[in-house]
Parts: sequence; C-alpha cells; structure tokens
Amino acid sequence: MSKTPAVVGALALAALLIWLLAPAPLPERWSDSETALIASLSLSALPTLAPDPGNAVADDERAARLGHRLFFDARISSNGAVSCAHCHRPEIAFSDGLPIAVGTGVGQRNTPGLIGIAYSPWFYWDGRRDSQWAQALAPLETHFEQGAGRGAVARLLAEDSAYQAMYRELFGELPPAEQIPRHASPGGNEAAQSQWRSLDPALQASIDTVFANAGKALAAYQRKLMPGRGRFDDYADRVAQDGAVRQDDLLSRDELEGLRLFIGEAQCVNCHNGPLLSNHDFHNTGILPVAGQMPSMGRFDGVEEARRDAFNCLGEFSDAAPGQCLELRFARDDSELAGAHKTPGLRNVVRTAPYMHTGAFATLAEVLEHYNEAPVAMLGHNEAKPLGLSRRKLRRLEAFLHSLDAPPDTAPQWLAPPGARR
Amino acid sequence: MLRCFHCTLMLLLAPLSALAGEQPHFTLLTSGGKQLRVVSELSPLALNRIHSWRLYLTDADGAPIRGADISITGGMPDHDHGLPTRPRLTGEPEPGAYLLEGLRFHMPGRWRMHFSIALDGDPDSASLEFEL
Repeated sequence: MSKTPAVVGALALAALLIWLLAPAPLPERWSDSETALIASLSLSALPTLAPDPGNAVADDERAARLGHRLFFDARISSNGAVSCAHCHRPEIAFSDGLPIAVGTGVGQRNTPGLIGIAYSPWFYWDGRRDSQWAQALAPLETHFEQGAGRGAVARLLAEDSAYQAMYRELFGELPPAEQIPRHASPGGNEAAQSQWRSLDPALQASIDTVFANAGKALAAYQRKLMPGRGRFDDYADRVAQDGAVRQDDLLSRDELEGLRLFIGEAQCVNCHNGPLLSNHDFHNTGILPVAGQMPSMGRFDGVEEARRDAFNCLGEFSDAAPGQCLELRFARDDSELAGAHKTPGLRNVVRTAPYMHTGAFATLAEVLEHYNEAPVAMLGHNEAKPLGLSRRKLRRLEAFLHSLDAPPDTAPQWLAPPGARR
Repeated sequence: MLRCFHCTLMLLLAPLSALAGEQPHFTLLTSGGKQLRVVSELSPLALNRIHSWRLYLTDADGAPIRGADISITGGMPDHDHGLPTRPRLTGEPEPGAYLLEGLRFHMPGRWRMHFSIALDGDPDSASLEFEL
C-alpha cells in the first residue's frame, strides 16, 4: 500500500500548523500614523514637568528635602509605624505589592505607584484630589491610611528641631509647639474633631497652613520621581527617524508584535497614550467591586470631593490664581463617570502588581484577559469592547509591557530614607 | 497631527492650518449662514493638555457678531463617549471673539464638536469633526 497519502496528509497538517502558529511577517516599515503613535509614546516626547501653580515650592530643592524626610517618617501616623513609604515602597516603583493598601488599617483600594505621577492633573483612582500636594494631605487624616491628623503633623514640624529649621527657611514661623494639640483634627474621630472645634480660629488657620505646607513639601519630593528610559524608548526614537520596523536586539519579535497590537488591534493606546502611557483620565472598564464593598462610584463622586476639598486649587491655601485652576473649574461631572477610575501609567507596570483599583488581578495576564472579555459593568457601562484576541497575542502584549520597564530617572538619594547608607 | 477628514453640511471648510507656526484653526458655516472661525490657543493641538479656543463669529459679510451665547458639546462617535472636560464660554474679549476655556482631548481618533449659538433668542449651530 502506498504511503503517499499519509505523507501528504502529514505535510498538509504541518503546513496548517505552521500557518496557524507561526507569526505573520512584520512589515518592513510602520505606517505614518503608527510611526507618529510610537514616537508619541517615547519618553523623548515627555515635556518638562510644568510648574504646579498651587504649590509655590513645588520645584524648590529645600522643599524636596523636607518632603523627602516627611515621606519616610512614620511619626506622621496615628500608630507611629506608617510612613508614606510604608505603602509607596521605592523598590517596587513606589507601590506596595498588595491587592488593597494596608496602612494603620485595611484600606479600600490598591496603592498606585508614584513614578511620573506628578504629570497627572488628578490624584487617587477616583480623582478626588486636584494636586499632588492636596493628595499628600489626605492619607494623613484618613484613619486607615496614616491618620495622624493635622494637629500631629503641625506639632511634629514645630517641635522637631530639624523639621523646624527646614520649615522656617521655606515658609517662615511656626506656631509654638505647645499650643498645637497633637490630636486635634477636623477629619479625625469624635474626640479629635471636638478638640479641633475648641481651638481659636486663628490657631486653626495656623495649623491648617502648616499642614498645607507639609503637603507642598511632600509633593516637591514626589516630583523627583521620574521614569527612566526603557528599551522601548530607544526603539521608538529610532522609529521616529525613519519608520523602519527593525527586527533587531532592541525589541524582541514578540515585543514588536505586542507593540503593534498595543497601538492597533488591542486599542490600548486609546487610554494608555503619551510618554507615560496614561491619559490621566477616568474610564469605566467593568472592574468588579472589592469583596464586601459597595461598587465604587469612582470619578462621579471623586470630582465632587475634589470640589469640596479645602486644599484644592481654588482654596485659600493654594498659591494659584483662580484662572490657573483650569482642571478643577472645567471638570466634567455627569453620570457617564459612574464607576470610572483613573487610567494608570504603564512605565513600571511589570513591578506594580496586583492591578486595577481593586487589586483584583495578580498578574498582567489576568488584566489582559479582562480586557479581552470586557465584561458588563455592575455600575455604569464598560467603555471597553471585547477584543477576542488569541492567547498568543495576549502574551505578546504582555511582552511589550516589559520593554517599558526601567529604573527611575531619579538620583539614588531620593530613593531611600534621608541619610540612609546606599 | 490634526486633520479634518469629514465636514458636515453645516461646515464650510475645516482645514487644519498647514503653515508651520500657525495656530490650528477651522472655519465653519453655521446652519443660519454665519461664519464661525475656531482657533486653538494650543499649537500644535495635542492630547492630554487643557487649553482654550477662540471662537470668531461673523455674519455673511464678515462683520463681527457680538453678544452671542455659545455652548459646546462633543465627544468621540467611535467610542460613544463625550468630552473629558466641560468646556464653556468665559468671555468675549473682543467684539465677536469669544473665549472657550477648558478643552482637553484624551484619546487619539475622531472627535466631533457641536456648537450651539443663541443670539437674541435665535438658535443656530455648527459642527466640526477632526482627527487627533
């Protein structure tokens, strides 16, 4: 009996498998629009960080030094054990590796990384603060984050001789430490609020000013945390020159395929755009609520809270003229924002698991699978549409995300507590 | 980076300024026969930056039209969502020249803007589409 049919069959099967499994050849050149998109994602396209009009010391080195010291100081917490760095750990891009933050108590959302976040006009997953300095103040008065309260923060700055000197050089006189009740806070428990209400309004105003200045110093420090160039950036800069795809050692074949998906079929670039791979805006992507929590209204509530915040851009502690508070004045607040949360940047995404505002996904593969399915949202509507990508394409997207990673472009002394041996 | 690829019936011309250094601008014909010239104060127009536009409203003879009330809506028809901000008119610094503040575009793709113009109770409108 002839073996020819079996051989032909085997060859046909092999050819089919090759056709199914082998990647289609990459083109030699990116299209003009692809070239422009790739160039727009490079860190070379990142503008110099604009001044924060609400924070007159945002780019003052002395403020950054004061903020650096505060950032790593656990005394600004109710139990004396939780510094900012407790949840924003420098070694993992200033995230914490946990699904949900744990400060002085269990929090409500995942801790975002801080590298490059100074470019965002809004802070927190729901955008409930409109500046980095206003954001820095909120955990200090939130009982499950640090919860020290403004009295404790102002008192520490007034009685610690190192802080006292740094503060005075920047902002002028402090109230006498003994006049500042350590536990007085309008955002604390009933006793703290009662103590706050009992204070003379002039002293309240002085404490508020010191507290706001602490936030401005913390922001000045965090503005130092800048993303470093990854392999992708060198690749993108070469593409920007001539549009050539270049299958060489800068990006692997899988990473190139992932990039093509990222800016094309997978539509990631719709929201993850610009050199930080974030539009800093708010989108509902159908993430389920944290177990035991009500669904988060996200930006819908966040924008209202930002408007009410005494430390916002239009408030009395802001250094901005009202005309400079564009984001706050022209913020959108309609029901389309229900369940919408901020687009995170992707520069160091491989270091900042778990993912999403709920920390629901332990791996990038799970995140990509979520976008591939685009489930119906419990609240509002999921803006993403199912992608229906193959497993191989999802793996390539993940490979591309690795090409973005790099150590921060930040001097080493800022990445450890002040005075730490390196 | 920005190019108009579709013009509605209400739109006379919507070319992006092609000359280097020129501010991005469009010239629209309203449904009531007025001319609305839209000039971006951000040049070149770019993603994720809040900025203002100047709107120059003139009659068919090119004379400025003062005192109009202009509101704007918009969004991305391909993504079924609106603008990421709530831009609004904040003044008329020159006769017939209106300041529209609070614009920001957060996604690449096709954007559609609709201008509602009220003048002495007389409604008028113009539309614009462009790709960013």
